[in-house]
Amino acid sequence: MNGSKLWKQFMEADENGYPVVAGSPIKGVSRRAFLAALGYTAAGMTLISCRVPEQKIIPNLKQPPEQTPGVSNWYASTCGGCSAGCGTLVKVRDGRPIKLEGNPIHPVSQGGLCSVAHSLVFGLYDSERLRNPLINGEQAKWQDIDRQIIGKLGSSTQSGGRIRFLSNTIISPTSRRVIDKFLSKFEGGRHIVYEPISTSAIRIAHSRSHGRNVTPAFHFDKARLVVSFDADFLGTWISPVQFTRDYTKLRDLRNGQQEMSRHIQFESRMSLTGANADKRFKISSAEQAGALLLLLNILSKKGDQSEMANSTALQSPDLSPQMAKQIEECAGELLRRKGESLVVCGSNDPDTQQIINAVNQTLSNYGSTIDIDSPSRQDGANDKDFAELVGEMNNGEVDALFMLGVNPAYDYHQSQAFAEGLKKVPLKVSFSSQMDETASLADIICPDHHSLESWNDAEAQTGTFSFHQPTIAPLFGTRAYQESLMRWTGDDRSYYDLLRSDWESTLFEKQTKYKKFDDFWDRSLHDGVYVEERTGQVGSAEFKTEGLSAAADRIRSKVNGGFSLELYQKPSIRDGKFASSPWLQELPDPISKTSWDNYACVSPQTAAKLNLAEGQIVKLGKETKTLELPVMIQPGQSDNSVAVALGYGRTKAGKAGTGVGANAFPLVEFADGSFRYQTTNLSITSTPDKVEFAKTQITDSAYERPLIEMYTLADYISGIHDNEHKDPEKLFDEHDYPEHKWGMAVDLSSCTGCNACVLSCQAENNIPVVGKDEIRSQRDLHWLRIDRYYKEEAGGIRTDFQPIPCMQCDNASCESVCPVLATVHSSEGLNMQVYNRCVGTRYCANNCPYKVRRFNWFEYPHDDPVANLALNPDVTVRSRGVMEKCTFCVQRIEEKKILARNENRPIKDGEIQTACQQSCPADAIVFGDLKDLKSRVSENKKSGRNYALLQDLNLKPAVTYLAKVKNDGGEKHGES
Amino acid sequence: MSLRTLKIISILVTVIAAVVIWQGSTFRQYGDQSGYQPIQPINFSHKIHAGDNKINCLYCHSAADKSRVAGIPTAESCMNCHNQVKPDSPEILKVVKAIKDDKPIEWVKVNDVPDHVVFNHSRHVNAGINCNSCHGDVETMEKVSQFSTFSMGSCVSCHRSHREVILDSSGRPQISAEKTKKRLMASTDCAVCHH
Repeated sequence: MNGSKLWKQFMEADENGYPVVAGSPIKGVSRRAFLAALGYTAAGMTLISCRVPEQKIIPNLKQPPEQTPGVSNWYASTCGGCSAGCGTLVKVRDGRPIKLEGNPIHPVSQGGLCSVAHSLVFGLYDSERLRNPLINGEQAKWQDIDRQIIGKLGSSTQSGGRIRFLSNTIISPTSRRVIDKFLSKFEGGRHIVYEPISTSAIRIAHSRSHGRNVTPAFHFDKARLVVSFDADFLGTWISPVQFTRDYTKLRDLRNGQQEMSRHIQFESRMSLTGANADKRFKISSAEQAGALLLLLNILSKKGDQSEMANSTALQSPDLSPQMAKQIEECAGELLRRKGESLVVCGSNDPDTQQIINAVNQTLSNYGSTIDIDSPSRQDGANDKDFAELVGEMNNGEVDALFMLGVNPAYDYHQSQAFAEGLKKVPLKVSFSSQMDETASLADIICPDHHSLESWNDAEAQTGTFSFHQPTIAPLFGTRAYQESLMRWTGDDRSYYDLLRSDWESTLFEKQTKYKKFDDFWDRSLHDGVYVEERTGQVGSAEFKTEGLSAAADRIRSKVNGGFSLELYQKPSIRDGKFASSPWLQELPDPISKTSWDNYACVSPQTAAKLNLAEGQIVKLGKETKTLELPVMIQPGQSDNSVAVALGYGRTKAGKAGTGVGANAFPLVEFADGSFRYQTTNLSITSTPDKVEFAKTQITDSAYERPLIEMYTLADYISGIHDNEHKDPEKLFDEHDYPEHKWGMAVDLSSCTGCNACVLSCQAENNIPVVGKDEIRSQRDLHWLRIDRYYKEEAGGIRTDFQPIPCMQCDNASCESVCPVLATVHSSEGLNMQVYNRCVGTRYCANNCPYKVRRFNWFEYPHDDPVANLALNPDVTVRSRGVMEKCTFCVQRIEEKKILARNENRPIKDGEIQTACQQSCPADAIVFGDLKDLKSRVSENKKSGRNYALLQDLNLKPAVTYLAKVKNDGGEKHGES
Repeated sequence: MSLRTLKIISILVTVIAAVVIWQGSTFRQYGDQSGYQPIQPINFSHKIHAGDNKINCLYCHSAADKSRVAGIPTAESCMNCHNQVKPDSPEILKVVKAIKDDKPIEWVKVNDVPDHVVFNHSRHVNAGINCNSCHGDVETMEKVSQFSTFSMGSCVSCHRSHREVILDSSGRPQISAEKTKKRLMASTDCAVCHH
């Protein structure tokens, strides 16, 4: 055989000259025999594996009496997301919490919940949570931790016991008592409350104007006219769920009322609140001060506080004549609504807030829409204290620092100074349950329970006490921070015992309704909330005009130039604490419809002037600090300002949150005792780089299609909206619905577009997270989306929101094109999607004009056994190649239908609530049986405002919308 | 291909064809697990409990009329009787040991449906359907095995039977003997089971 040399290297010739493999790897086994053996083994293995997969059923050893396997229990608790303290009902299935819903009897949230609350379930089953206490990064035992800390605390008393307890706002009175008791053991113990995004200016201003260092309770449910300067009270400000509920109550026309409150917003960026305003004015934060001064000046002159106007002698600085006219009109409206108006401001400048207080005082709003006697406790941060602490730490004047719920190594504007100072503290203890930026700098980490695992109480509003109750035994080796503190001061009780005895000695003593403490405790625990009996009115605080003119002078003297920067929070990511939740990262921003990123919002005019394209990276510079961010062209943004979301750019936020966006906290400023989120003199430099945003909606306009119907209040009252919507010709036979016909009515007048429903749906229906790249390819899986449209109008930009679930059409276009009958019509009016039949042709999605169908392009992993505990066992986990969509929460329909039939009774109206409906803070979504003509949804659909989306297509959707009504303030037709 | 190979193949094909024609109806459909009788960690006899001693099914499977699942009794509920009855039997001692070690007993699931199917026991029990109709004569089974195929066909054949749930003289629900034209109590909507 004449082969090449190369060939010969591998092959040898046999005696006949044919090539053979040089030496078999297994001696004595021929190649043929080996392959035969391989074949038999494979066949044998296949045969053996053809058997029933063995599944285990593991019953409890002892059945808890309240638990039935397969049946959910509901426990009233309090949301541990932010410090707003909304009431929750936790759905616990077979011992594990799987869903949070709003507690309707809770006076703060009144049945609503926000998107952050829904993500708590994800946080509970986050396998990246710390599972054990750590000493210098090494796993440790609680006994060793206790011994070390008690030892070090003992030695610190010699140097004066300068112990600092640094926490975020703690709304639990009992926890505050535990901390105070712990600190009282040390001579120099101090509790410092820090919030990265604080509203401390409101408290400073009230201590100046009313002598009380409190955040008053704002009653949007009593305010017939709301004027907001940059306060995003529907999105992020203080207590958004509560404010949304209160605000929409006065704007709900479904109960036959003929009036609604009016809302005027002055703001520099496009906020969720501004998008919902009846009238919105663009005003940069630099102009804002002048506008406020002018407003106060006009009000105090025209109102009966003429003496205040004279005594403070507030002259307004220069303002554009246009803005001055608008402020004048606004002042006129406010004067007509004296005592039933509310002026709020999002600024964290005490001087500005002081002016706001004076405005509200001249309008006699204190005592009616603003309650300073039973104030809110939802934010107690003191920015000055924290700035001082950083100084003390750097001077080596702190012996021990305990950190709870804070992350200043990330979110303090001088995080480096904090980190440097921390190095000089001999004992640094963190209670964080995540290895975040700050916890990783601590010596000892004593991870706290998740809020769904812990006992606690909460007093969000003075006199309203609610409960946190554990809904699962702690998953990991964590310990309640209160218990840790108690151990270190020699108290061996559990926190639960302490909580009980504290309630017995404080609240039980003061009430008269219950004779026995157990009855009182059980009732409060059952309801999740206890409202203290009021004992007479506290004397109203006197308003003081002193210092007002000085504040006005300070505002006037500010020099503005360059671009102004507005740092804001997104309703989902907030201050970045929940950046590790992929649910929240993927939830698109309600305004920009962009997920997984933050960006620099500039107005279209500014973008044109600076020649910036969307997604182009720009350098924002302020003195020595720079920040690189992509540009977002944002209609409604004021021309000489840039808005950037905080809470991004985390460096230690787990798999989902690390490295998403850029950290804008370094641009926060500290002045006059408070953090400032609005600054001026910002420079913008463009770079040639560009990125693509992960947007869930790529068109901003409805292109004159009648997607959103809208009327002014005057038109609505005059009955213009009552035009019959003519049904198109009948092409198909009508369906027969023998028993039920499910339907939904969404009130666009109430919907604020807050996105809470989207996350509630995601949690309920086991919807996976797809990630940034897939969102860019329009492959998001949210079953419910909220469309946002801009419309250019004479007075500015109009923003409309429209939640789009599956419309469950009667003449469904999806059903007629499915080749395998995987989507068919049910006898109750649902378009059923049968996953096990679907072969993934995607014809249905292409034929759906509402674009509500979602396709699983990938097998989304479910291999994290801890994360899987969050799955709803009533909903199938879909696999790759399967179409899915909103089912009207059919699992909830079936559950209640079965319950009603088992009890031999008809289903009550309102008994079945879809997940989106349940958590809507605005009560915009109503679901029910259309066969029941008295049901709330049927009543809603009788309204003249009722219309179907894309009505001309004759798809007969079961979801219809109630046209939006805007309060034009009495003007007939054509808003100016 | 050699003649010998062809011969072997043709004989095999003939034999298989003969078996299929002769016993075709007993061949299982894909996914049919009826007759499945796994080995359980404790040699529990339904015959003794449900048959000889006539213990009601719901005594142990107490969630069956309230929940989606029927429920497997807790170790503690076994000991309700077995504190007195045969406390020294080696099988009972396994239960005692489980309680002592705080290690729940891992039973092997006999009856199962795929993950995309939701079956609700409570609705069927409350509609008067006997446990035996789906689970067979469990009271005669020394070792429990799967009785029905639990295929979609077996579910739907009942749901399509056009029978009503009526109350008998003692107020208990029963499935009516006659077919009715009235609205069906059992829906055949896909989403009733698949969601």
